Parts: sequence; structure tokens; C-alpha cells
Amino acid sequence: MTLGETQHLLWRLITAPEGVAAALAADADRGGSIAAQLARMVRSDRLEAAQRLDIYANMYFFRILDVLKEEFPATAALLGEVGFHNLVTDYLLRHPPAHFSIREAGRQLPELLAGHAATALHPCAADLAAYERALRDAFDAADAPPLTASALAAVPQSDWPSLRFALHPSVRVIASDWPVDVVRAAVDQGESPADPEAIPTRVCVWRHEFAVLHRALSSGELAGLSAIARGASFEDVCSVIGEPYAADAAAREVALALARWLADGWLVEPSTTQR
Amino acid sequence: MSCAVRSGFPALGFGVGLRPPHYGHVLEAHPAVEWFEVISENFLIAGGRPLQVLERVRAQYPIVLHGVSLSIGSTDPLDADYLRRLRQLAERIDAAWISDHLCWTGVGGHNLHDLLPLPYSEEALEHVVSRVQRVQDALGRRIALENVSSYLTFCDSVLPEWEFLAAVAERADCAILLDVNNVFVSAHNHGFDAHTYLAGIPVERVVQFHLAGHSDHGTHLLDTHDHPVCDGVWDLYAAAVRRFGALPTLIEWDDRIPPFERLHGEAKRAAAVAAEARRDTRRDATSAVASDHRA
Repeated sequence: MTLGETQHLLWRLITAPEGVAAALAADADRGGSIAAQLARMVRSDRLEAAQRLDIYANMYFFRILDVLKEEFPATAALLGEVGFHNLVTDYLLRHPPAHFSIREAGRQLPELLAGHAATALHPCAADLAAYERALRDAFDAADAPPLTASALAAVPQSDWPSLRFALHPSVRVIASDWPVDVVRAAVDQGESPADPEAIPTRVCVWRHEFAVLHRALSSGELAGLSAIARGASFEDVCSVIGEPYAADAAAREVALALARWLADGWLVEPSTTQR
Repeated sequence: MSCAVRSGFPALGFGVGLRPPHYGHVLEAHPAVEWFEVISENFLIAGGRPLQVLERVRAQYPIVLHGVSLSIGSTDPLDADYLRRLRQLAERIDAAWISDHLCWTGVGGHNLHDLLPLPYSEEALEHVVSRVQRVQDALGRRIALENVSSYLTFCDSVLPEWEFLAAVAERADCAILLDVNNVFVSAHNHGFDAHTYLAGIPVERVVQFHLAGHSDHGTHLLDTHDHPVCDGVWDLYAAAVRRFGALPTLIEWDDRIPPFERLHGEAKRAAAVAAEARRDTRRDATSAVASDHRA
């Protein structure tokens, strides 16, 4: 057996969701020969080859489980020990880690949860996981100097309509039917989470210096930030924020939103290039 | 050869692994640790607190980058992006050196985030040597490779682990990070003599020691990094210092992480054990010279 064949067989057995012994038994039932290959590959002495591989299989699963519990503490608490364990089993089957950093191991968990049986039991679970992933992403995001009010004031008035703001790399906007930020805050306080009542929730997550912060958004802010994320011009951002208002009130809303975003450090150097 | 290999690895003394629970203490109290080692992959990120902490710690202490995902033994292609980012990070913080493990961590584009052993075969030897040379070219420096704890051995192995490690280091011209706890754990798990292992490693290639705690699972020892260093590992460390010299030594503690002072205490103990071992070595050498003189 070549080195590559050895590694592929070991990977297959270590990641078998039912465990090494069960995977070997299932293969034997199908008339396979993996047990014989393993016997020729790994020495058995005080421990059988399958028991030795099981040590690696357990370390693989429980290391990732621990990492995901740390990254998604509220999701894990909501689903409970067994529910989260089963979710991670399904997750590793569909999305085995591929990135060199274990911090990336949970990236697709919210996506899996969206169509998972656990979300039928806990309707907020997928959005909660997405919120928790956003907290992680904000923590690890690139640094960038925030746009200042004085820098913005220097932009010629004629350039403003075509101005394209850019969001700070740490900014993540979450819109959910569930109060995911409240659920996570409760778990951070040591409380046991319960499935919340549906409450439309709009929240922005970002990093200020070393701290990851979050605050609720108005519907206008959500529309405006989403437009900026799409690369819209300032003129278009004004349109989506001001849509529900008369002209004077719309201008006030835009000015208010812009002032808050600058104060919170959500914007970086804009461009005036056309898209 | 001794000077050539070790010249790229400064004599840093006794350090500990830098982990997030201790960031605040290290930045505020500036403990008298001689150096820190960090897990490279945790800092191959775009920005944020970890990198800022790393740069602030680096302003006060030497730092070594210790990787867990190089996967030098994998049959997957080397990850050029990973190597590029690792080199950038090493240059950004002026890392004292870069190390990783003699193992494979994944295949088929997947990463098990575990350190799996290789068959100690000619095929694996050629494969690893070629990749170490390419990695050293990509990083622009000699790396140190660490022996791993293992829980299985391969029927295809034609060399004992220590001969394989020595051959990789000699043929690829890399250094060795000797993890004394891993030698202890694997010796127990596979029934070889840990002192035979030490005797089979070329002195001039070893540039650093690791020390850590492990767990006894009855049928095997597990390299868990969640306990103090045990007496048997301290004894083996003393033997390693007598053979290889008082090289830079680092305490790893990754789970159930204790208060910083407890961790620092392990590094101080390592310094004391190393000093005692060096005294033994000098006494033995003096006795031998005196004996020769009388003869």
C-alpha cells in the first residue's frame, strides 16, 4: 500500500461517524476488505489496530466538538448536550475541516443548521449560530482605520451622490425573526437558554479595538448598511433609508444614521469610482 | 555542523506557550519568562486582538512560531498560501524560528487537526525530505521538526522512529525539536526504550526541547497537555540535557490551563533540572579527564 493509499484509508476510518469498529463491520457486511487492509497496515499488539485507530477517531471528533462548543456556546446550550453532539456528527460528515486553522472549522455550521432537524425543534438555532459566527468573524477581521467626520467633510459636495462608502472589515449585519443577541447574552451571563418568542431582530456586530460589540439597528440602518455592502452609491443609500419618509424627515434619518455609523467606526475610506 | 545548525536558533532559555487566558497577565505584569512560543495558525488571520497582542508581547520577549498544520508528511500538495502567510507572519514579528511536526494532519483536502504518525519507510522518508527542502526554500530559513506522540505503528516501517527522524533531519538539513514528553508517551505506547531513542538522535541537529503533561488511559498514554510534567518525563529531560546540552526549553499546557504562575513554575523547574543535569555532565567529564590523567 502506498503512503497516499495509507493516508486515505486512515482518514476514512478516523472520520467514520459510527466509529472505526462499526465502519469495519459495515464494510465487511458489504463484502469489503478494509479490515484485511488495516490488518496489513497497522500493527496489533496490546491493542488491536481498530482500537488504536479509535484513539485518533475520538480525538478528532472531540477536539472539533470542543472547538465548536466554544464558538457556538448559545447554540450548544439551546440544543443541549445530545442535540449538539448529534449536530456535530452530521456536520463533520458534510463539512469535514479543510482549512489549516481550526478556527475555521465551524464556518458552515449555520448553513447546515438552516436545513437540519435541530432547527425544526429550535427554530432560532440557525440564526443564532449565524450570529455567533459573526461574533467570531468580527474578532478575527482585518484592521482598518475608521472614516472620520473630518475626512468626510473634506469630500466635495458634488462627489457625494456617487460616493461609495465601505464597511469596516469587522462589520456584520444580522437580520432575524428571533432575538438571537438576547439569547447569546443570556448564555454569556450563565443562564440556560429557552426557545425565545419570535421578535424581529436587526443587529450589527463589529470590533472596536479589542472588543467585539453589538447594537440593535433601525430598519433604515439595516437597509442602508445592506445597500453599502452591495456597493451602492450614497444616492442609492439615501433612497433606501429615506423611502418611508417625506423629504425633510428622510434627510434627517440619513444624517442621523451616518453620524452614528461614523461614531461607531463602521465606515472606512469611501471611493467615488463608478461601478 | 553543530554550529551551522544551531547558529540559526538562538539560546533563548526557558519559555512557555502563550495562550489566550494569559494574554492580560503577560501584557500587564511582564513576567520574567525568557521567551514565548505561539501556535502559528492562530495568528495567520487578517487582524484583530490576537495579532495586536502578539506584537505587544513580541516587543518584550522573543517569540517562536510553532505550527500544527504544515502536514509535512501528507501526500496532498504543500499549501503555498499557508507557507506565504507563515513567512509573512515570521517576518512581521521577527520570529526566533519556525517549527512544526513530523507527521501528517490530513489528506484529500481535509484537515484532521491532529498529528498522525507516518510509516517509517523509504517511501515516506524520500517524500518528507523533499517537502522539507521545499518548505525551507519557501520560508527562507531552516525549520525545526518535532517528534509526535503516537498511538499506532505501521507494518511497513523499516526504521525505528528515531532513525527516521534523524534521517529526515540529516537529508533535508533541518533541525529537530525534541519533545521529551512525546518520546516518553510513544516509548510507553509502543514498548521501546526512551533512552535508546535519545541515543539515536544526532546531537548537533537538536535545537529545542518541549515538555508537557500527559494522561494515563490505562491501555495507553495520551498526549493531552493538561497536566504538570510527570517525574518520569523530568528524568528523561535531564538525560536529554546531558546528551544534547541545555537547549531552549518550552513548557506546553493547552487544556485545563492553570494560572500563569503555575505554568511559569514548570519553566523554572525545567531550568533547575537542566542546571543540575549540566553539573552532572561537567562532574562526569572532570572525573573522566582525571581518570585518564592518572592512567
